[in-house]
Amino acid sequence: MFIRVTDADTVLEDFRVEVRAFCERELPPDTRRKRLLRQHIGRDEYGAWLQRLGTRGWLTGRWPKEHGGLGWSPQQFAAFSEELGRAGAPPIYPFGVTMVGPVIYTFGNDEQKRRYLPGIIGHHTWWCQGYSEPEAGSDLASLRTRAVRDGDHYVVNGQKTWTSFAHWADKIFCLVRTDPSVRKQQGISFLLIDMDTPGVTVKPIIGITGGHMLNEVFFEDARVPVDNLIGEEGKGWTYAKFLLGNERVGVADIGVFEGYLQSLRHLLEVTGEGGVPLSEDPEHGRKLAELEVRLETIRALAADQLAAAAQDGSPSLMGAAALKIRGTEYQQAALETIMEVFGRHGMAYQNDAMDPGWNGERIGPEEMPGLVHEHLLRRAATIYGGSTEVQKHIIAKGALGL
Amino acid sequence: MPSFTSEERELLHESLRDYFTSRYPFERFRELSAPEHADGFGREEWSAFAALGWLGVAIPEAQGGSSGGATELAIFMAALGGGLALEPVLPSVVLGASAIQLAGTSEQQALLGEIASGARRLAFCHYEPDSGYARTHVGTVARPEGSGYVLRGEKAFTLHAEAAHSLIVSARLRKADGPLSLFVVPGSAPGMRHHPAPALDGRRGAALSLDGVPVPGDARLGANDDDLSGVVEAVIDRGAIAVCAEAAGAMARVTDQTRDYLKTREQFGQPLSKFQVLQHRLVEMSMASEEARAITHAALAALDAGAADARLKIWRAKVQVARSARFVGGQAIQLHGGMGMTDDLAIGHYYKRLTMCETLFGDGQWYLKQLAAARAG
Repeated sequence: MFIRVTDADTVLEDFRVEVRAFCERELPPDTRRKRLLRQHIGRDEYGAWLQRLGTRGWLTGRWPKEHGGLGWSPQQFAAFSEELGRAGAPPIYPFGVTMVGPVIYTFGNDEQKRRYLPGIIGHHTWWCQGYSEPEAGSDLASLRTRAVRDGDHYVVNGQKTWTSFAHWADKIFCLVRTDPSVRKQQGISFLLIDMDTPGVTVKPIIGITGGHMLNEVFFEDARVPVDNLIGEEGKGWTYAKFLLGNERVGVADIGVFEGYLQSLRHLLEVTGEGGVPLSEDPEHGRKLAELEVRLETIRALAADQLAAAAQDGSPSLMGAAALKIRGTEYQQAALETIMEVFGRHGMAYQNDAMDPGWNGERIGPEEMPGLVHEHLLRRAATIYGGSTEVQKHIIAKGALGL
Repeated sequence: MPSFTSEERELLHESLRDYFTSRYPFERFRELSAPEHADGFGREEWSAFAALGWLGVAIPEAQGGSSGGATELAIFMAALGGGLALEPVLPSVVLGASAIQLAGTSEQQALLGEIASGARRLAFCHYEPDSGYARTHVGTVARPEGSGYVLRGEKAFTLHAEAAHSLIVSARLRKADGPLSLFVVPGSAPGMRHHPAPALDGRRGAALSLDGVPVPGDARLGANDDDLSGVVEAVIDRGAIAVCAEAAGAMARVTDQTRDYLKTREQFGQPLSKFQVLQHRLVEMSMASEEARAITHAALAALDAGAADARLKIWRAKVQVARSARFVGGQAIQLHGGMGMTDDLAIGHYYKRLTMCETLFGDGQWYLKQLAAARAG
């Protein structure tokens, strides 16, 4: 307990300054403004920014150098994400960079690495993730989308769901069932599919936000070249677990989390009660302090996690799961507190105002539609990326040995 | 700030763990905390702590210590919490030594050597019956008389005041609104009345009435009349973070014990650890315990680095630790069922220790209020 010695890292501090300066210079003010108001940012605008980061190699800074990365430490990556969040930059689009990319360079063949990795490093390819199915949510291994070998192709039939950004994506990485006769985890393979393959269709799912991010993806006799299989047939579950492990390294979005508190502080100043700003109400001061304590705890857990990753090569299972649980709980609590302020503005939700071209008459503070949207969106934070209950299961089995 | 390397910290941690596992079993706690025990703590243990260098871990080398910082003290405090130790380390080594280090003249610094050697035990008699957790609300007055002072006032129930050779007593100099000062007063003195009582967790303490206690001029810490509010605040901050560490140690141990119990206790034909509702509760306990440890570590690092926001970090840590302590202590009893309610088991004693840790130097609600005020101000 309390063993680790923390030294101020001047190299990292210099890097932070560099990222800050880059964002200052390269992030279009209009993109920043939209992001701060949490307005929708279109595919082209978002893509252009990601490509700009890609020219520095920063999107894939955490990848090993032999695969085109910069070999960043977990700390450096965390510092990078934090600075992006603080600068009001859009977040890193994760599906290529943190998800399929590492699977390809770890388990793919040389031809696949040549074909796919440059598109991820420079963000010339939008990826999406084909995991969840209508009958396979937390129990992912029971997925049913079938891929049947036919000469040089797999013929894919089935349905994926909750697919974020499938309507933007060029490619999807899928878990498919290639052998239904063996134990459910053993019959799964990892397949890369072009979204423009005949037989692949995307249908939007309108979320409780009123917006479109999620989709259903249908496969009807879609013919996928056998070359698109990653690693060995039947080993898909192993690769998926590797990927989920990466997803759960437990880098909390500290920069974004701080942003909620900044928003809340501002809202308390511009919202009156009985003619007095809410910021002068001690009860709200305590709520802010309470959220700051929770954020400080998350920061401390994240620092531990990064130190463990740097020291032992891998983050602790318990730490990653705890960070996911507490980070998402904090997100929801902060946004709920913001919603309490919006009660004073009658809970108007001008979803259309999220569209940058909207020029209707705004009700309430300027940031209100974006934050109401964020509040609704982040109800899913405790569900996606392994629900809170799944995380608790991981801690119970993996860390506590129950 | 001098500090240990992580290897040195690891060694300290391991020697503490070995000592408490082999030489401070729960039976020893029961023996020492029994009302009929003369001291309420182990003199043997006290000597061992001194001999092993732990009492001097944060005292400068010049005074016979090993020049560690708040973090090294915290490693010691965590072991004490894990072992339910009863020895007066907090008031001597944390509070007393900090007060002397921060306010004492070079002659007065010599007291640190006696603390490190275990020869002198201190208590920090500062809070008063009507001060609550307020840190500088002091009604006790020290009136100059001859070459010394005479102290009058009331001090609230203070942990280990009975075990101390010397008391650090706070008082206003000359008059009720005079500068806040600290005095090193003998454990018992003419004009001083002790009101001894056991504390919730079996440790002992006393409230004090100071009805004209004469002390010599050099009993006052420091060379001049400067107000010592800043020192008092710093001493209390150090006490607060030490108690956070103590609680983190206790939480880790009681969570382990609860896990072991769930794995062995069978009901409905299977171990309790097979019930998901209980698994998730234990996960919540482990997380609460980890959160307390992590935020305490962050505050300690800031304090030892002399960071400008160290104080706010300590206050935030105290809020989180208080919340974790209440949850972990309560759920440890809950998951042990009726057994957790028995005096024979350590569980209830951890609950009581954690309740003390939650409240000493200010509870979570109080620190939240301070944090909100610090923001507004």
